[in-house]
Amino acid sequence: MVSEVALSLDLAIILLAATVAGFLAKQTGQPTIIAYILAGVVVGPVGLGIVEVTELTETLSELGLAFLLFLLGIKMRIDEIRHILAPIVKISLPQMAGVAAVGTGVSLALGFDTIESVIIGLAVMYSSTAVVIKMLTDLDETTTLHGKMDVGILLMQDVVVVIILAVLAAGRPDSATEVATTLAVVLTLVAIITVAALAASKYALPPVFRRVADNRQLFFLIALSWAFLFVFVSDNVNLFLAPLGITAYLSIEMGAFLAGVAIAQLPYSKELQDRVNPLTDLFVMIFFASVALSLDAGELFFYWEQAVVAAVVLMVGKFVIFFVLLSWQRFDSETTFFGSLYMIQVSEFGVVVAAAAVAGEFIGVEILGFLTLVALLTMGVSVYFFAFGDALFERAGPYLSRFEAEETFTEQKREYTDHAVVVGYDDLTRNVLGLLEDYYDDLVVVDRRTDHVAQLEAEGYDAVFGDIASSSIRKDVALEKADFVLSSSDSVDVGKKILRETSDDATVVLEANDPGDVRDLYDRGADYVIRSVSLSSDRLVDYLGALLEEPETFEDAAEHDAELLRDPRPFRDVHERMSGDLDD
Amino acid sequence: MSELLTAVAVIFIVAGPFLLFANRYALPAAPLLILAGIVAGFFVDETQALELAQFGIALLVFTFGVGIQLTSIGTVLADSELAALGQILVVGGLGVATGVALGVPPGEAVFLGVAVALSSTIVATALLQTELQTGLVRGRLGESIQFVQDLFAVGFILVVGAGVLELDPIVLQIGYGTVFLVAAFLVNRYAFGVMGRLAGDSDELMIVGVVSLLVVFIGSASAVGVPIVVGAFAAGLAVRHNTVEYLGLFNGLESIKDFFVAIFFVTVGALVVLPFVQMDVAASIEKLSLVVALVVLTVVLKPAVTVAILIYRGYEGRTATLTALSTDQISEFSLIIAIEALLVGLLAQAVFDAIVLAAAVTMITSTVTQRYSERIYWTLSARGIVSGSHDKIDELSDVPEGITDHVIVLGYGQKGRRIVEFCEERNHPYVVIENDPALRDDVRFDCEAYVFGDAMETYTWKKANAEEARVIVSVTGSEVVSRRLLALGYDAALVLRARDERTALSLLDAGATYVAVPDLLAGEQLIQHLRGVLDGELATEELRATILEAQGDP
Repeated sequence: MVSEVALSLDLAIILLAATVAGFLAKQTGQPTIIAYILAGVVVGPVGLGIVEVTELTETLSELGLAFLLFLLGIKMRIDEIRHILAPIVKISLPQMAGVAAVGTGVSLALGFDTIESVIIGLAVMYSSTAVVIKMLTDLDETTTLHGKMDVGILLMQDVVVVIILAVLAAGRPDSATEVATTLAVVLTLVAIITVAALAASKYALPPVFRRVADNRQLFFLIALSWAFLFVFVSDNVNLFLAPLGITAYLSIEMGAFLAGVAIAQLPYSKELQDRVNPLTDLFVMIFFASVALSLDAGELFFYWEQAVVAAVVLMVGKFVIFFVLLSWQRFDSETTFFGSLYMIQVSEFGVVVAAAAVAGEFIGVEILGFLTLVALLTMGVSVYFFAFGDALFERAGPYLSRFEAEETFTEQKREYTDHAVVVGYDDLTRNVLGLLEDYYDDLVVVDRRTDHVAQLEAEGYDAVFGDIASSSIRKDVALEKADFVLSSSDSVDVGKKILRETSDDATVVLEANDPGDVRDLYDRGADYVIRSVSLSSDRLVDYLGALLEEPETFEDAAEHDAELLRDPRPFRDVHERMSGDLDD
Repeated sequence: MSELLTAVAVIFIVAGPFLLFANRYALPAAPLLILAGIVAGFFVDETQALELAQFGIALLVFTFGVGIQLTSIGTVLADSELAALGQILVVGGLGVATGVALGVPPGEAVFLGVAVALSSTIVATALLQTELQTGLVRGRLGESIQFVQDLFAVGFILVVGAGVLELDPIVLQIGYGTVFLVAAFLVNRYAFGVMGRLAGDSDELMIVGVVSLLVVFIGSASAVGVPIVVGAFAAGLAVRHNTVEYLGLFNGLESIKDFFVAIFFVTVGALVVLPFVQMDVAASIEKLSLVVALVVLTVVLKPAVTVAILIYRGYEGRTATLTALSTDQISEFSLIIAIEALLVGLLAQAVFDAIVLAAAVTMITSTVTQRYSERIYWTLSARGIVSGSHDKIDELSDVPEGITDHVIVLGYGQKGRRIVEFCEERNHPYVVIENDPALRDDVRFDCEAYVFGDAMETYTWKKANAEEARVIVSVTGSEVVSRRLLALGYDAALVLRARDERTALSLLDAGATYVAVPDLLAGEQLIQHLRGVLDGELATEELRATILEAQGDP
């Protein structure tokens, strides 16, 4: 009963090669992206020639890019980026014009003809979404100011790519009006979808996701369904508009991103990030490994000398242009430096643009090879700048600060430190919150249920929706900096994870039910392990003893407990009352 | 966008509303995804998605392999191997016979038998969450029955992988299967740790590493002609590991699994040729009669057989019935077997369709029977269909003649033990009521007086002489049991346990003397301890010593 549909051998080889390369890279301290790309070069037509592009690998790498943008979208809280929208627009447009000019200039100088040079200029002005976002995610810098600036600029570039692709797909334009129409249509479409996504996130999604968010699996699948809806609409926008006589194209990345943005405005997006992340990692790996699969060595290396020169000129040019523009917008020297340094590579979209230009017969296939090589070279080099950016900044920082404006662009962000973290809101921890508030200025509660989070927030507590097992949640509540952690999760795994991450000085109170687990958690450094069963059975035996031997004491205590139960307030100020022995 | 990506997009878009429906009515996702597939079948060419669906199959089986705890297999097998195997044999046999009677060729009827015999782990685990968490007997029992069935399914796929039912190829297959298990063991023992060390703190590398490992196992399986399912199962065993150390890895694998498994279920649905809509009336009726037969076998006959076997094994009528009602659906493994058989031509389209439709139907009906399981049991027991014999209770119990003014302790878990200790210290007479066979020896050994029976049965209470008891303490926390006790209306003081405050209140209002909410009680103690610690008056070392001492650790 061996299935006829065997798993694709090509895919298996790509996966294996990329994995092996990834492990090698990790061991030698190289960025994994480079390893993935090189693995593709080695097994693909350029190297061994044992793998070529198949529909499956192509689909998975498209999915990779879509997921990458979806993931990015989920991280974009409008509130957090609203204040940088203006500088993003002011920087990205001149930046693209500037880089395109440099690209065209260097191409002309290298001996390409005018049309080729213009196309090359148009192809090199974007930085690589895949590389930048992947590296920002790996370095955990997506929410830094330079991270957000770069992401914003990349998205502006994405809009421009979409427009240019639309123009190229229409073939050589007859007139400027045709270009203008295409432009107007694409911009309108992007605007419509953005408005639709934001409207949905305001009105349609909250009631839907509030119901679903408590079910981990359904939440994930329904969010994917939502993302695919946008991907599908963007990709097939042409079909929808055809009856109206309009031709237009949108990228699936744009759709995926906007679907993510709509979810990002909901309080449950953190949880989703951790669910989408592994899928993205897997598919993006296939994406990078497939970059070099579509060309053979002859095409790729036809203009290799020119490619090296162009790569160097473009990297320097991009850095300078970004640096000047970011300084002009009065960003501090650190943001300016990293914001520029991270954007020096040529995008995979450059290759896509070139491919479209080949199809539209603007350029020959060797130019495509040239642009692919430039993209590979610049991506490869830029990844090292990500890796060693900090070291560079340490040296260059003092010189750069002289370019810094006097009043720099700033933003505030809430950071916890020396605070108390409570994991899980239930009958056990609920009554302790009041007690902890007396001792700590900052108290944050993590819970997996949306109604709990809403209740907590209504009472003025800081509450985070999500699972402490996920690293972004742990980061959000600054577990590392907490002075006190109380977890009522009886999962030992969660307890161990917390112990591993908290500082040695922190007081960590955990819960466990099994005696072996109690011992284990103590051995790993817990300060206090609650055995709720034994705590409550001790108490229960007290009650039973009273019932059998001192009926009056029992009646008083039972009365008192019933009173507590009948108190309708969700946050009773009970910790004053809930202590002492039965006869207190 | 490639056609395949369009197909994936359509699959998920169509699945969305169905999943929302599942969420709205608390149904498991699997059957709704199959139904979504039937709809999606009109828009996409499902053969494209088959390749991705294969990953879903591989990951389902892989996850089963990852979840296996070798140490607990022994206890599980002792518990319910007979029940599981008996169920497979009897129900499977009936399935084959029914198929043949309805005109299905014997070779294909075997698959019908397997389909009805196996129950769905993912559906049942989703439905049994509470029972499993609270360690109820029937939760554990149901889980272990399904475990044995899943193992059987993997073995069945291995044997049928020979393609023919002759001895030589089967022996060869089993030989290959053994080689895979050995390879899995070696990887698990030696290679996995190395991989973990090489990956360092990178979850990404671990995830792609494990996915590659899976692909290698699957690849080698298909290279030697063994079903990929067996390769995936072995790969699962190979990475079976401490989940804490690799929390990121296993969380990540879950996402990847959920993604591909969703595609698998939708694709299965899309492969169905819909009766009446896509085919003529006569053939439709034939197919539907097969579906009805499968549903009846699964929903009525399978639970009946399970109940009979469990009662024979000495379980209470109620436990047996409730356990059986958690196995009354067709398994995802049956779907895997069916789709593989369809692809190699061992199964006709009509029979495949019947299995898939019956699976979707029974997965949904199973949710319903689970929801009303208690009511179903009472209806059956009131009509005497599920045996009400008390011989077993009499035989297993030991209550002193004329015991009065005693404490009845319901449930011999940690809390129950604590109360028994207290009673012995203070010389209060007591009777323990318990019905978990796994605790039978403990109770017999530790307790002076005990009744083995179901707390829902009046006879159990009669046996414990509840009429003349002074206090009844129920530590089970089951609301159904608490309500039953209140309804029985004994004079004794009723000390109950409730999981949350709202239930506690309503039990108090219904006449309970005292309702313990464990978290509330524990909270009282906790506040006392924490205040001490935060004020610096109570050293944590002190607490630690007390706690460890209390549980008997040095």
